[in-house]
Parts: sequence; structure tokens; C-alpha cells
Amino acid sequence: MPREFEITYNAKNIYDDWVYDAHWQFLIIPVENENQHEVEIEFSNSLFANTEYSINGYGFKTLRVHPKKKFKEITFEAKFKFSKEEVDPYNFKINPDISLAYNELHNSDFKIIHERFLKSTPFTSLENKQEELFKFDNSISIFDNLEALNLFIFKYIKFTAGVTEVGTPLKQIIAKKKGVCQDFTHLFCALARNNGVPTRYVSGYLDQDSGYVGDSQMHAWAEAYIPEIGWKGFDPTNNILANTNHIKVCYGKDYNDCAPLKGIIHSQGRNKTIHTVTVESQQ
Amino acid sequence: MENIENQIFSSYQRNPDLYDEIHDKKGKVKEIYQKLFNLYGEHTINDYVSLNNKAKASFFNQGITFQVYGDNNVQEKIFPFDLFPRIIDPEEWDIIERGSIQRSKALNLFLWDIYHDKKILKDKIVPIELITSSANYLDQMNGVNPPGGIYNHISGTDIIKHNDGKYYVLEDNIRCPSGVSYVICNRTALKKALFGVFNHYQTHTVTNYAENLLELLESVKPKGVDIPNVVVITPGMYNSAFYEHSYLAKTMGVELVEGRDLFVENDFVYMKTIKGPEKVDVIYRRIDDQFIDPLEFNPDSVLGVPGLFAAYKKGNVTLANAPGTGVADDKAVYTYMPQIIKYYLDQEPILNNVHTYHCSRPDELKYVLEHIHELVIKPVDEAGGYGISIGNRLSKQEIEKVKAEVKASPRKYVAQPIMSLSVHPTYIDDTESFEQRHVDLRTFTVLGKDKEFVLKGGLTRVALKKGNLIVNSSQGGGSKDTWVLKK
Amino acid sequence: MLARVANNLFWMGRYIERSEHVARYLNVNYFSSLDAPNLKSQDRQFVLRSMLFMVGDPEKDLDKFLKEEDVLYQIGLDPSYSSSIINNIKFARENANSARDLISTELYEAINKFYHFVINYPKEIFVKNGLHDFTTNVAEMTDILRGKIRGTLLHDATYAIISMGINIERATQITRMINAKYNDALLSQGGENDKFRKSFEWTTLLKCAESYDMMRRFYKKTPTSITTLEFLILNPNCPRSVMNSLNQVNRHVKMLNPEKRYNKDSTAFLIGRVRSEYEFKYIEEIDEDIKSFIEDILKSLVDISDKVDEEFFNY
Repeated sequence: MPREFEITYNAKNIYDDWVYDAHWQFLIIPVENENQHEVEIEFSNSLFANTEYSINGYGFKTLRVHPKKKFKEITFEAKFKFSKEEVDPYNFKINPDISLAYNELHNSDFKIIHERFLKSTPFTSLENKQEELFKFDNSISIFDNLEALNLFIFKYIKFTAGVTEVGTPLKQIIAKKKGVCQDFTHLFCALARNNGVPTRYVSGYLDQDSGYVGDSQMHAWAEAYIPEIGWKGFDPTNNILANTNHIKVCYGKDYNDCAPLKGIIHSQGRNKTIHTVTVESQQ
Repeated sequence: MENIENQIFSSYQRNPDLYDEIHDKKGKVKEIYQKLFNLYGEHTINDYVSLNNKAKASFFNQGITFQVYGDNNVQEKIFPFDLFPRIIDPEEWDIIERGSIQRSKALNLFLWDIYHDKKILKDKIVPIELITSSANYLDQMNGVNPPGGIYNHISGTDIIKHNDGKYYVLEDNIRCPSGVSYVICNRTALKKALFGVFNHYQTHTVTNYAENLLELLESVKPKGVDIPNVVVITPGMYNSAFYEHSYLAKTMGVELVEGRDLFVENDFVYMKTIKGPEKVDVIYRRIDDQFIDPLEFNPDSVLGVPGLFAAYKKGNVTLANAPGTGVADDKAVYTYMPQIIKYYLDQEPILNNVHTYHCSRPDELKYVLEHIHELVIKPVDEAGGYGISIGNRLSKQEIEKVKAEVKASPRKYVAQPIMSLSVHPTYIDDTESFEQRHVDLRTFTVLGKDKEFVLKGGLTRVALKKGNLIVNSSQGGGSKDTWVLKK
Repeated sequence: MLARVANNLFWMGRYIERSEHVARYLNVNYFSSLDAPNLKSQDRQFVLRSMLFMVGDPEKDLDKFLKEEDVLYQIGLDPSYSSSIINNIKFARENANSARDLISTELYEAINKFYHFVINYPKEIFVKNGLHDFTTNVAEMTDILRGKIRGTLLHDATYAIISMGINIERATQITRMINAKYNDALLSQGGENDKFRKSFEWTTLLKCAESYDMMRRFYKKTPTSITTLEFLILNPNCPRSVMNSLNQVNRHVKMLNPEKRYNKDSTAFLIGRVRSEYEFKYIEEIDEDIKSFIEDILKSLVDISDKVDEEFFNY
């Protein structure tokens, strides 16, 4: 039985001085895929500026706003309605001969096909010593290793809002052992890739009623590619596999590929942004 | 020496170890240069002093200058221009031209491949690191089919003649190669100064570059466009190549725009004109990938156009060169050029590659560290001749410093044998005489779907400092008019 | 044509024209004062104050002693004074640079030579004995530029925009000169022979506008306030007059926008309106209140310039 979701995304931007020229690009629309269907979009802004839909460089749908008059304040509201199939994250089988999957990881064509999600990025680069943080145990399956990694990160980082920001490098997060979902996810990506598993950063929403930890904005988790199984979602912030409550918007190498809001604003002075997201669902 | 009456060359010192472009090994003036040599000999050195000053003033007055930012003022400088032209005979030019086209085509196929099936990686001809560790590989270009299948519409190939008399390629510039306007300015300046000499030679024209470029740009128009609107985009008038950008726009008869003149609406690109918005179809861009669209790449860029990349990806506008082309403009890729040419074209390279040692490979790193005094060490990702160390010119301490840097980040460096660039008589201001100076040659290749064109001339750059091998203008290089003779 | 580039061309025209008027004003005032018929007009302080008044920075402190070299340097070559001749030429060239692909090589080269002439002019020579040489050269070089604009550019939108800039600026500068000389004529009133109407300053004004010979030919009498103003403001055949400049602006805006439809928001409409106001004016009406007239015409010119900006330079 599919669940009906309704997500409301609000953003308010306030500037000290007049803004004469601004462009925003939102990457916040739930993606349509095998279990998220019929996404309806309502989008409005307080300046009644025209909204354009486009596709970004990685193939995800974006919303763009470019007001044609000056302003000091603008609010955006987006509503997304869609239905989602119940996801059973454990609905797969592991080949008893686990060495086959490991061999595949070492196959050079495999590495070439997945090179985008195997290379390290500024947000997912580790220092030499840190690569030792989590090493795979080849006597158990790749999936089991990834679940162990999920647990490891869940225990390693204490969920704390406000100690890190978008640009905090991974090595600091490892040192502080505190962070938010982006940080959990970046560390997961870094360590899984370091063990040869293609891993991508996923940006989306989390149904907060489900009782899981996320923040009031966008949530982040990881997807790892397991040979013979495919992409599997891991949410290290909650030490679970991604399930029906994880609503996917997009994926990329790291946060940079997935930033929900990009703004090109030509203005002096300070500015403030407030985001809120609510997710509601009904069976 | 012959022609002893040729007084302006009477003090010319010929170093027999260097390959002199106008003299043969015995010191005799080559046949092709004979007439020119005699014609120049009819003048006195005082004539040259005055002609040289006039040529300089002409460049200055035309505003063909670049700006040097000093401590508290901005100075305008001209690119030094040398009055003694370089002559390339038709047979040699044929090699250069075919070789330049071959490389451009191979690089284009390489780019298509690494943004599509990546066969060359799967076949293990080049290592995957060439793309995974390149800052210029754009993931966003994966699977994108640029119009006409062309990535490197415009290439600049840097070629030298070694003391074995053979041509070698030093670099393929396929991001935003500059210098073509100087080819044309040099020709104009030489004609003004010494028009008489042109009567004695059948020289190919160089003024047909713009029409060929425009034809190419029009040929890669987006689908569904009948007569494309072409523009040139520049970072602005403070860019050191601004003269060239305005020259190209003017001679093609198209608009020269800055990022702020363009905007994107519903994935189409428009320019802001006095009569309202006008759609733009093809953009010859002279800004780097990272700056073309702040929404997709560097968000701090004020040079680009928000939304441009999405419009490109949708096929509504063509960018030349294509985004992501820079990945093949990498000294590490250069070293695989013979294999790349062989792989895609099944041909032997027409122009030689300089043998390159990859410091990323342990055995080659060892060789480099042991033979550093006979090698040139180059960072793989610097342009403009920066960061180059020439082994036999370094002090002991400098050698140690370079070694330490290479050891610390081996992937960042490659090494090559020290090539001896050929030398050419060049008028030297300080001594008011002709002296040997090292030269190279940059050719300009335009590659389209069904066409290729190499400008018959190219830019001969000359290292004005005695003994210097680095010809880049940013390092005090000058240039010469370059004559390609008709068959 | 790009809106930004049109803006550059417009201002290139304005700065070229402005530099000429400022240069000629310095030249004529300085040298006519040397043998002026009355003491006030001969007074160096009076002349220097008039120069500052004309460029828009009148010295308010009536007791302040102005140093000749300082004032000449400030208006001529001071790079930190935004209204100096050197800056006008710098701005003209900068605007030309941005529009370089649209203007002819010949025009660009002439601007560039002009620029190098000015920035390399030695300061010491200028303030001691170079005033005549410098200002004459500036005036002549602007003539060359106008010649290149007329003779080496296609008479299309590019030409029309530059010409609008030149003519709006010409009208503005002529009006500013009238304003300055009107002020001088008031200040220099003295005995019987120095009455306002017959002031020597009107002759100087005509010379500043390079219109003295033309005026003498037309009226065959010594210039008075009325005849001078009539000639410089209303005579459509005087190439320097406000009327002539407005006619030129009118002609060029029609090249940009040939449609004849009634559109009261267009630049063409505004220019036509201002133009027709002066076309059928009696000089006596102006003479009644010269000060208000000057304020009105300057305001109209600013309005026209703003309108051009709004219609053509801002998409």
C-alpha cells in the first residue's frame, strides 16, 4: 500500500541592503523513481517572480527564481505531494560466495564505470592515518561490512547541531567527533570509497514523525553500490538502512553536488536565511 | 662567413651547438633565407633602430598592449615584436599542419571517449588517474554530446625545433589558447615597416583566420537554429587577452559580450541589446570552465552567466571550446599523446612528443631524482611557463628544493629531457644588433564537424633574454612574423 | 547592439566633448583676461574662480586666495579630481575600450594616442607655460576624434549613440559656459562701460564656444547679452548652439528608433518636446530670467540623458 506524502519547504531570506540582482536555484524536488511517483509541485515566492524549471548538470530537476525588481526580503514556499511505495530495505539476497563481489570491486572496468563515486572530493578526503579508521573484514560480505560501517559512524559521531557548518573539513569532524547528518554521510562516503565501494551522497527529506534523527531542513544519507545487489541506502545518522521515510531528492559525490539552495546575490551588508521543512504522510 | 658586406649581421655570433634557423651547420645562410638576408643587409643598423621604434609606437598607439600592475600604478606594455621574420618552407609546414590536425582530431576523439564509454581506460592505454585526479574533468559532461561531436574547436599547439632539426610538440593548449591576434598584428606591423621584402616571397596570408573561425562556429550551431547568432564572451577589458577578444569579435563581425550582458530564460540564452533581448546560439568563450556558470561551477564567479550550463546541456546553446575540454590540456595527458593518436586514428604521430617521465611512477621518479640536472621539471597543471625548473640552470640548493617538492607530490610533476629550442636572429634593443635567440611556434587549429583548418603562419615566440628557453609573453617573451611559403 | 556597449559609446561621446569644452574654457578665459578691458576681468583670481565655477566646483569662500598653479593642475591634470580633463579623457578611453570591437581601428587609435598624449603631459610644464599648448592640442584632438567618428564609422546605431552623447554633452557644456559667463558678467559690472548687457564677458563666452567669428558675421555688431544668448541658444545654424545640438540629438534618436507611432514614454518624444519648446521661443523671454532658463535647460538635458539610459541601456 503506497503512502501519500506532503512536504512543505519554506525559506525566508532577509538582507540589510537592497538587492538589485539575485538568482536562486533550488534542488529540493523529490525525484521520481521506482518508488516515488507522481510528484506534484506547487511553488511560490513573495515577490511573485517567475519560476523556471530546469535540469542541473547531474540531471536533477531544479527550480530557479530571478526577481526583476529590487527587494530586501523574499520568502519561498514549495509544496510537494507524491505517493511512495513501502520500501523493504532488506529485500535482496547475498550470494554465499562473497569473494565474487569482492573480485568485482577490484575489476578495472568496474572502477572505470564507477569512477565518479570512488574518487575522493574536498568534502570526503581523508588523511593517511584516518584511512585506517575503518577497514573491511573480507570474511564477511560487503553488505555486512557496510552495516558495520554504518554502526561505527553512528557511534563515532555524536549528533550535535551547530558545531559544524557546510564547509567544515572531514578531518575536523573526525577530530571533534560531533556533527550533523551531512558530516555522518561524508564520513560514510569517505570510508566506504576507501574500501573500494562506490558510494554517493544523497540529499532528501526525512519523515520526522518516524522518530528518527534529522534536522528541520534537508536530511542526508549515503548510497553504496554493492556488486550483484546494486545501490543500497545507509543512514549513518540513525544507524538504519534508508527506507520509506527517506525521500530522495538527488545524489552526488558530496554536498557540493547536492546543495539544496544556491544563490548568486549581488548585495552589500549582511543577510539571514531561515529554512523550515515539514513532512507529513498518510497511509 | 659569406656576405661579409652584410654589415648588420657582421657582429652576429653563431653558437655552433645550437640549431640556427637561418644558417646551416657550416654557417652558410640557408637558401630560403638568402634573399631576405641580402635585403636586410641593404639597411644600416640605424635604419633598424628607427624601424624598430616605429613598430613599437605603432603597437602602442593601436593599443595592442597588456597591463602590468605595479606597486602603485598600472603600466601599459606592448608585446615585443621582432622585425626579422621567421620563414617556414612548404615541405616543413606540411608536416606541421598535418601533425597539428592529427593531434587535434585525436584529442577530440579522446575527449569524446572519456566522457562516454571510456574505452581507452578500459583497454588500459591510459591510466584512470588521468581523469580521476584531474581538476578539469567535469562529471557533468558525462554522456553529453556536444554539437557536431566537437570538444576542442580551437587548439593551440606549441611546437619547437630541437637541435636534431626535428619538430617536437611541447604542449597542446585546448582551453582558451590565445595569441592568434598577434599573428595578424605582427604581419601588419612588418608590412608597414618593411613592405618591400614581401615582393620577393610568396607568403600565405594570415588574415583568413576570422572567417574560418566564424564558419566553424556557425557549423556547430544548436539543432533547429537556422542562422545562428554567434558571440564572443570575454572576462572583460582588464583581462590580458582582451585585445584579442575584441579583435576576434570585430573581425568576425559578432558581438563581444561579458557575462553580465547575457541571461538565461527557460534554458535559452539571450543578450541584452538596445532593442531588448536577442537570442544567442553559439558562444566562443574565452573564460575558463570554472567561471562560466556560478550556479553550476564556482559560485563566486561574476564572469559567467547563471544557468548557462543547463542551457548548454539541453542543447540550446553551443559553447566553444566545450566545457570539460581542459582535462586533455594536461601535461600528464600530453605524455600519452603517441598512444592516444595510435589508439583512435591508427596512425603514427606526425609530430614528435618529447619523452616524458611521470614522477607518479616510482621507477621513473627514481630516474628523475637521479638525473635532475639534465631534465626539465614541470608541474602538470600550470600554464604560462610558471613553476618550470630547468635542471642544468639550478644551484645545488635549488636542486634540493625541487627534489623535495617532487618527492612530496610526485603526481604534480613530470620531467622531460632539456630540449634545445632552435635559435633565430633577433633584433636586440640593448645592443642594437642581431643576436641568436630561442624560438618556438604556436599553431592555431580550428576543428569542425567536417572541416579542419590550420592558420598558415602561427605565432613564433622568442625568448628575448639571452639563453632563456621560456618564450611565454608573461615571462618576457616577444614574437615574430611567421611566413609560410607557398609551394 | 549590446545595451552595455551602447552605454559605453554614449559616454565615450560625452567625455570626448566635455574634455574639449573644459580645455577651451581654460584657454580662452586665461588668455582673454590678460588684456581684458576692465580690471575685474583682468583679475587672475576672478578668472580662476570662473574656471572652477564652470567645472561645477565654485569656490565659496570669497576671501580665499587661489593659487594659479593649483587650479590649473586640478582642472587639467589632477588624476584625483574626477572632473579634470585628464580624467575625462581617461573615461573616454575606458568606454572606448569596452566597445572596442564596435568602433573603427582608426577611431580607437586616435583615442588611444590622445590618451597617451594627455597622461604623458608633464605637470610642471603644464602649470608653468604649457596651458596654451595643452589645451589647444586637446581641442584639436577632439576635432580629430569627431572627424574619425563621422568618417570611419558606419552611420548606423553605433554612430547614432555616439552622436547623441556628443550633442547632449555639447548642449550641456554650452549651457554651463553660459551660466559661468552670466555669473561673471554680473560680478564684473562696474562703471558706465561695464554694464551687464555690454559686458566683455559675452565676447569671451563666444570665444569659449568657438562661435565669435560666426556671431560677428551674423550680427555684424559687438556682442551683447541678448545677441550672444540668442546666437548660442536659439540659432539653429550655429553648430554650437543648444538648438542645433537638440536638432542633432533628435535626428540621431530617430536613427535608433524610426517608428513614428505616438509614444509619450519614448526618448524621441521627450527630445521632440524639448526641442519644439526652444524652436519657437523669443530671446526676450529668456532674457527676462536667464537664471531660470539655464536651470530649466540643464534639467531638460538631464531628463533626456536619463531617458536614453532607461530606454536603451537598461534591459
